[in-house]
Amino acid sequence: MSGQLPRYRAEAARRVLAAWRRFREFGFRSDREVRGLTLLKAWLSSEQLAQYRLHRHFDVTGCHSGKRYRIRYGVSMNVYELDSLGRPLVGRCFVPRDNLVAGDVMLAQKIGLETNERGVLLVAKTFSPRWRTIQ
Amino acid sequence: MATQIIMDHSGDSRHQFNPDDAAALLEAEQRFNALMRDGYIAAVRSPSGDSTVTRKFDPKAEETLFVPRFVGG
Repeated sequence: MSGQLPRYRAEAARRVLAAWRRFREFGFRSDREVRGLTLLKAWLSSEQLAQYRLHRHFDVTGCHSGKRYRIRYGVSMNVYELDSLGRPLVGRCFVPRDNLVAGDVMLAQKIGLETNERGVLLVAKTFSPRWRTIQ
Repeated sequence: MATQIIMDHSGDSRHQFNPDDAAALLEAEQRFNALMRDGYIAAVRSPSGDSTVTRKFDPKAEETLFVPRFVGG
């Protein structure tokens, strides 16, 4: 029994460390939100990931027009077309059909703009960018 | 092992299969085609990190991501 004590302590320490790492990365988010954000981070380019870690948004380039878009953390009204100075010009609202978590929605929007920009803009609705909430 | 990742309400569902196993490969291709019929978009990643959309099952793709079709928000 006493021989097993160090093993229990090591296992407890491992679990505490894993929980701390998860909290530091994802805060109090649910498992499904964590899964979505983990998938998003795995598919972002290194530049997009660095930008997302700093600002909770990342920029993508439309595959047809070469225009820049900013995708913010969120599940709707979170995509902005940027002007040549990087300022939000117009909001583009398009989302995956199913009810998905934020990480999945943002990844879907990235893939849509990078691979089928014209197609997603055909279904997207426009909205006025809210300047105060944009960085 | 290759993986098919389907975005869903739980975050995602993953299906792993051995591309060298003919039965598993057939099942993966049938899953791919069923998702395409349901309107999903299939994306694969290149080694450089770029994502490309594919409409045909690629038995050599290590990771294929399925995204539900888009609607206006």
